[in-house]
Amino acid sequence: MRVILESKVRAKPNLPIEAEAIIPRNFLKGTDLIVYEGNKERTLSEMFWIFVEGTAVSPENIEVILKGDTSRIKRVGEYMDTGSIVIEGDIGMHCGNFMSGGTIEIRGNADSWLGREMRGGTILCRGNASHYCATGYRGEKKGMQGGKVEVFGNTGDFCAEYLAGGTVHIHGSAGDFPGVEMRGGELIIEGDATRPCGNMKSGSCVILGTVHDMLPTFEKSGRRVLPEWKITADVYKGDVANRGKGTLCVRSE
Amino acid sequence: MTELWVKNACVIDPIRGINGEIMDIAIRDGRIVESVSDRADVIDAQRCLTLPGGIDSHTHVSGTKVNFGRYMSPEDMRAGRTKRKGKMHVTSGYYVPTTFGNSYRYSAMGYTTLLEGAMAPLEARHTHEEFTATPHQDMMANTLFDGNWAVMDAVREKDIRKTAAVVAWTLKAARGYGIKLTNPGGTEAWGFGEDLTGIHEMVPHFAVTPAEIITTMIRANELLKLPHSVHLHCNNLGKPGNYQTTLETFDIVPDLNPARQTLYATHVQFHAYGGGTWKNISSKAEEITRSVNIKPQIVMDMGQIMFGRTMTMTADGPMEFNLHCLHHNKWSNHDVELETGSGIIPVTYSKKSAVNCIMWAIGLELALLTKNPYQCLLETDNPNGAPFVKYPEIIGLLMSKRYRDEECATLATGVEQRTSLFALERELDWHDIAVMTRAGQAKALGIVNQGKGHLGIGAEADIAIYPIRTDSVDPAREYRKVVEGFQKTRYTIKRGRVVSREGEIIVDGANATFWVDAKVPEDLKMENDPEFIKRFEQFYTVRMSNYPVQDVYLPRGRRIETEVFT
Repeated sequence: MRVILESKVRAKPNLPIEAEAIIPRNFLKGTDLIVYEGNKERTLSEMFWIFVEGTAVSPENIEVILKGDTSRIKRVGEYMDTGSIVIEGDIGMHCGNFMSGGTIEIRGNADSWLGREMRGGTILCRGNASHYCATGYRGEKKGMQGGKVEVFGNTGDFCAEYLAGGTVHIHGSAGDFPGVEMRGGELIIEGDATRPCGNMKSGSCVILGTVHDMLPTFEKSGRRVLPEWKITADVYKGDVANRGKGTLCVRSE
Repeated sequence: MTELWVKNACVIDPIRGINGEIMDIAIRDGRIVESVSDRADVIDAQRCLTLPGGIDSHTHVSGTKVNFGRYMSPEDMRAGRTKRKGKMHVTSGYYVPTTFGNSYRYSAMGYTTLLEGAMAPLEARHTHEEFTATPHQDMMANTLFDGNWAVMDAVREKDIRKTAAVVAWTLKAARGYGIKLTNPGGTEAWGFGEDLTGIHEMVPHFAVTPAEIITTMIRANELLKLPHSVHLHCNNLGKPGNYQTTLETFDIVPDLNPARQTLYATHVQFHAYGGGTWKNISSKAEEITRSVNIKPQIVMDMGQIMFGRTMTMTADGPMEFNLHCLHHNKWSNHDVELETGSGIIPVTYSKKSAVNCIMWAIGLELALLTKNPYQCLLETDNPNGAPFVKYPEIIGLLMSKRYRDEECATLATGVEQRTSLFALERELDWHDIAVMTRAGQAKALGIVNQGKGHLGIGAEADIAIYPIRTDSVDPAREYRKVVEGFQKTRYTIKRGRVVSREGEIIVDGANATFWVDAKVPEDLKMENDPEFIKRFEQFYTVRMSNYPVQDVYLPRGRRIETEVFT
């Protein structure tokens, strides 16, 4: 089954829409869902033109497609466990919160907190992702715990903060402090990064581009060939300032 | 005139010696009276357990320290969210909830009076503002004197009258209730970058010892005839082997007051560790309780820990730093000029940790080994040991050997050899629990005369009716029913009004804040003492005239006056 949601023109297009109801499982029973525009309760059909193609007997086979101006729609795919969501444009904050299964594909850019505290499943972002991609929310000590986040563009600051499991793969560059407070999982940045992995406890991080302002609290432990990336990398252990046992690999000059 | 008639109540009222009698309670205008007219509202208690409103004699629910705990744990604000409903405000938080969250949850458990364990006098205004926003409980604030410079000067001069005068002035200025000493001397030493390891060590720069501070303050407290005794958080909290410091402290306490204890030792669980390192830590609850059992002048509370996530917050700054070095997590440290300090860190007590399991066992041992329940009160030092919502579970553990054994099977290995908990057969009864959760507190805090902690004629009509039938529930076997029963009252009545029904809050609260106006002779009035004024203006960053809390901060303040001493 395919559900196409095309956003309607709104009088106040900058008002955020809280749309945690948009997950594939919910469309099994129809499209009578509630979203909030600002503090006002709205039905889904007030906000979107809804087209449903085909039927489904289980949520695995449901594909939700969002079209039009979706850059202010927040919390799409929150607690999603199966099925797939495709966003043809940009998406607002908190896309894929706590997601545990299924796939989200974003063809445009994603706003902050993409895939925060994710447990499983896959998020593909074809454009850029903003700050706090694949992290934990304020104060949370366990960020993303499983699954995969792949961003084909760049990310903002604090990407993969408190990463505890799963894989985060950034094809572009990361901003300031990627992988800070990491305690597990894997972070790959193909571009550049600034001050990576501060206070990291465990897990591994590979950076193929240039590292700016490398933190002094990492101990160089040797050099290693990484065949899957076809490079030779300097291997650092750290963050020694906090008895960390993480691995940070940076491409050798 | 509002009247209420509670009929068919199975009352346990230890202060009046009533143990499980079926009786009726008449209430008029917030007080318990002989009888009411026919027009009174009627509550049929259906022979359920009815107790005086619960009293927590040591909790941290208001003030700058608690609020900083809230700042520090935004993740906690995602837990325990409830929506606005009827008279109820929005609440959030689990181990450091919003003020209304604290108030509603205490009310649902039948608690009607709370004592905030530590208020820095300089920051009293904020504490009182939060009291106003904790509307369903009458509040009192213990005032911190552990590092007060004026007090330490008077102690050094061995001048009990002067010490009493400083205490009286500060209590009145801060609108405080009693004297709290938190790691006396130690926190101030820490302010100078040093630490104390025993009660006979000199506090650097002040030339006094913690032992001198404790004994002088006890004597000053009795000289002032304050309703509550000195409330002490002993030195060396949370250090393996600290039980010796605790015993030394207990040994220097004189018995000065026939009506109540002369020392209230709080969260003694944290002060009853044997061994020398975290590896060989063991329980010394037997030694502690042996000392307390022969010293009627001491009342302690458990400081029970329960497994799970919580936040530790105390005026004991150095101890929090030591904990931070263990955990490597968030940490806050705070110094209050000329008075005290504080520290805050989040912790998780885990059954996998042998140390945590031993701590858990020690709290229960203390309660079970103390012969007189009036001498060991039930609390968790909320939220340091556990959030107060865990009290019903502790009651269940104390009342059921079977529950303790079941919990024991889930603990880390090696715990059984280092505590004696699992050899203890004692199971507390309903009367003991009533003492440990209200009567004992009322007596220890000296508020029986204010009409708290009992249901006699003239008492404040603070009543908790629990959905428990004591004649048909066997707490030793059906401990689940006991725990559930104590979690949610059928009715909580506060000053004659039903405030909470089946856990739902149905009125806006109107609490009172009790504070003590201790009278001193004319020649000891600190506001007229040129030396005190000079030092105040020299050292404090606030003017003396701006220091006292104005009455506007206590919209429902209740002054307790003491007699002038000579």
